[in-house]
Amino acid sequence: MPFGYHGHYLRIDVSCGGAEFVPLDEAVLRQFIGGSGLGAWLLLHEGAASVDPLAPEAPIVFAFSPLVGSPLTTSAKFAVGTKSPLTGRINDSLASSGFAIAGKRCGCDAIVIVGRAPEMSVLVIDGKDSGEAMPAVRLESAAEYRGVACDKTEAGLRACLGSNFRIASIGLAGENAVRYATISHDGRHAGRGGSGAVLGSKNVKAIAVRGTQHTEWAHPAELTQISRSLSKRSFGPATAKYRELGTASNLLTFNRFGALPTRNFQSGTFEEAASLSPEQLNETRSKTRESCVACTIGCEHIYSLGNGGVRVEYENLFALGSLCGISDADIVLRASKRCDELGLDTISAGGTIAFAMECVERGWLNEPWLKFGDGDALLRAIEMIGAREGIGDLLAEGSRRAAQAIGHNSITIAPQVKGLEIPGYEPRALQTMALGFAVNARGADHNRSGAYEVDFSNKVDRRHVTRDAVHHAIETEDKAALMDSLIICKFLRGVFDDFYAEAAEMLRSVTGWDVTAEELHQTARGIVSAKHEFNVLAGWTLAEDTLPERFLNTPLPNDPAASLSRERLGDLVAEYHRQRGWCDVAPETTGNDTARRDT
Amino acid sequence: MYVEFFGIPRERAGICRLEVQANTLGQLLGVLASQVPSLGSLLGADGLNPACVANLNGDRFVSDIATPLRESDCVLILSADAGG
Repeated sequence: MPFGYHGHYLRIDVSCGGAEFVPLDEAVLRQFIGGSGLGAWLLLHEGAASVDPLAPEAPIVFAFSPLVGSPLTTSAKFAVGTKSPLTGRINDSLASSGFAIAGKRCGCDAIVIVGRAPEMSVLVIDGKDSGEAMPAVRLESAAEYRGVACDKTEAGLRACLGSNFRIASIGLAGENAVRYATISHDGRHAGRGGSGAVLGSKNVKAIAVRGTQHTEWAHPAELTQISRSLSKRSFGPATAKYRELGTASNLLTFNRFGALPTRNFQSGTFEEAASLSPEQLNETRSKTRESCVACTIGCEHIYSLGNGGVRVEYENLFALGSLCGISDADIVLRASKRCDELGLDTISAGGTIAFAMECVERGWLNEPWLKFGDGDALLRAIEMIGAREGIGDLLAEGSRRAAQAIGHNSITIAPQVKGLEIPGYEPRALQTMALGFAVNARGADHNRSGAYEVDFSNKVDRRHVTRDAVHHAIETEDKAALMDSLIICKFLRGVFDDFYAEAAEMLRSVTGWDVTAEELHQTARGIVSAKHEFNVLAGWTLAEDTLPERFLNTPLPNDPAASLSRERLGDLVAEYHRQRGWCDVAPETTGNDTARRDT
Repeated sequence: MYVEFFGIPRERAGICRLEVQANTLGQLLGVLASQVPSLGSLLGADGLNPACVANLNGDRFVSDIATPLRESDCVLILSADAGG
């Protein structure tokens, strides 16, 4: 077994509490590395594509990586993989911090959970006294935590079990199978695609892990040198935006470029954007910064709110602010905090609520209180979604399913791709990103495709993107796949001169593999193809790789040049598939770099 | 012409907007170095630090310091990384 790995995953059936170590072949690890890649392989291996994601037999994967526990900055991350209950397609969502380290110290490279516990439970995985044997696995009643907020659940369990446990938990939204419920850990969320609903469907309120097992590094001195260099660069100008302002600094920039989604994507500019900007927040609120474990960037900006604080990210400000026409920063921060407590993905929550607001405006939905710009309505809708009460029960299904129930051809304005609500990048103003949204395996997503980088460069005309942009979009997707599998934070991307070469050095120093930049290029492409293969097995068709009709027949009202047609997007998508080698969509012929599940 | 700052450039400059005179992007950066010294390391002799980018009128990203500018142009200086 290579350095950096334990060589097996821990498979737990919570129906009976049974657990076993399942060996992982070195060839699989080298091909999929860890995190998002290993998660995709495990989902395929476990047959997740063909099952209902909320059924007991559906697996949920917590995948670590060889870099977890190393001194490399930002490497304390884990990926949660499921078939998404929101999209019916593959989903992986990442989160950071101590859970990754403690989970790997339980002596495994991933944890796979299947089954359904008899009652709402806490899954305790205790590797403290297990040596190199399997950790003790038990279920404890979570009755006292039913309906309790994520942060309070985690605090309560640590007080009860011991402070050296690390906890991942769901909120009320996960318990109620809201299709975009998150899994929370230490204030961060594995946010997109509804992994919290999958965990809730297994009657697992929280997972508590601790352990003592370590993996060795192949070349410790080299790894230390690489880590020091990377940490030093992480203090430099390439990460200053995240360190000093946070992602929220996108808000005014995007507004200036007509790329700030507003009132359910009816506009790309929000006249009151300044009131939500970090520049304004800094003038009216105190702020602290936090970092994930093992991170030297410190991108988390915690703004004061009442007696506490709330993490402020661009996606929260856009989804719960401009997208819903809300300019009151206090409301947006309260909504954001409430989503964190309930365990709701803010992008999907905001997107679905904004969609409903427009349906009300058009007379398609009889909920007259649910209006753009009404902060109380936003807060009320969030509560109703978490509890699945009233209209909240419908909105808990996400905008695609809600549109199917509402009718009136409202699917044309539902802000989603493959069922996943679109993040804060207006596709008509950022058309390479539009392609990224259309083709990505987990749906409209800015973390698995970084195609917006291309739009914010001199490589393309962002409002009239042509086939020349396709290989750039693929490059960002491949790069993201590798970063999510190693795993290291994407906020580091600007510090690398040659990312693949440096990634090869990192992986070589940890695992001992004589891995090259070229091999990692192929690995990244293989991981993207494996996710596509999952989707094909789950019923994907080419017709899914598109955008809602609104984006294809209506230019942005204040920027007529920002116009995208079905024909042009279709041409880009076809070229993307051609360059991926996916011209034949049958799973066994998806190309030479397709995942080999039998390795 | 006007220069608008966003993100870290705005944070460093301490202002949102500035009126300047320049015929090329290179000249403009020189003027900024002189008038807004707090931009410091974001401005180099060969152009902007790679952590920043320049855009003309919200339309076109430019990096060549010989890029001609017109009196009616608005140059946007922003952080290069748009990740959120």
